Amino acid sequence: MKKVSFLLSTVAIVLALFAFTPPVGKFVSSKTHIKFFSHTSVEDIQANNYASVSTIDPSTGDVVFSVPMQSFEFEKALMQKHFNSDKFLDTKQFPKAKLKGKITNIAQINLEKDGTYQANVEGELTIKGVTKPIKEKGTVTVKGNQIEVQSTFSITLADYGITFVKGKPASNIAKTVEVTVHAEYQSE
Amino acid sequence: MTPKKKKILKIGAILLIVGLLIGGGTVLYMFNMPHRNVQNASTDFSLTASQLVTEYLENPTKANEKYLADDGDSKVLEIKGTVAKISEDFNGQKVVLLQETTDKAGVSCTFTQETNKNASTVQVGETITIKGVIRLGASYDPDLEMYENVVIEKSDLVK
Repeated sequence: MKKVSFLLSTVAIVLALFAFTPPVGKFVSSKTHIKFFSHTSVEDIQANNYASVSTIDPSTGDVVFSVPMQSFEFEKALMQKHFNSDKFLDTKQFPKAKLKGKITNIAQINLEKDGTYQANVEGELTIKGVTKPIKEKGTVTVKGNQIEVQSTFSITLADYGITFVKGKPASNIAKTVEVTVHAEYQSE
Repeated sequence: MTPKKKKILKIGAILLIVGLLIGGGTVLYMFNMPHRNVQNASTDFSLTASQLVTEYLENPTKANEKYLADDGDSKVLEIKGTVAKISEDFNGQKVVLLQETTDKAGVSCTFTQETNKNASTVQVGETITIKGVIRLGASYDPDLEMYENVVIEKSDLVK
């Protein structure tokens, strides 16, 4: 009898412990797509990256994107070489870009309930070693235990020390480029 | 005009045209230069997934110097390791993660539309060798609060 009650209380303690552990940790995504799009009257240029890693912390709303810069692919090889070179993004010195933000309205987003939610993100973007504040809007879609995040925003290249004063790049690359971010998370 | 002068003019004109053609051709070639074919390129280094991860975790600056190129055409590697995970990216490309259970990070190898079919026979737990171009090294990221894998792209199986 004593043995049984001991067993029961042990079970009760274990159950209680589980009940107090947060139900979900950070969501991790390695299924991502980041796109740069530049439009000028001369030409449209785009570059795609499918190798970024992202995390979302559902309790705090912290969202992080880590972007391998050499993974951006352009249609033209020469453009890709220019993009990587020390005159532009200097990807050998700065192989990673990072977006570090917070979903400020996370309280209004129920990650356990299917639906589409508007998210306000505030934080910092680091490109080529330069960090600038950003404020953007995004969409969070919940479907089962899968969460998708999407956002489109603009960045001014000169803010990050990326400037072209002469030649083809100056006329063919927009001063402000559109960045599209898409990630799919599974709970770990 | 003397026949000699005529001849010089003729040669000059031909040279000019040839020069223009070569110059124009070079500019056109540069502009439309195809991407490097990683699979046809010669392998710069052959090593195991563990060795590559360790090199990056111990000295990232030295490893970047060794493996990354200024123009993005970084080193072509052949990496041997145990398959830990197989997935697919948003571009429909297969992604094979080579990682030993004792290592903190692995090597994530993205295949291409052309090489995808070779990855479809790969199974978790198998030891395989993959050839591809390195894009990023492994490191601990304090913001993600996790180890990031080495990123290899344009991958194919080495038979």
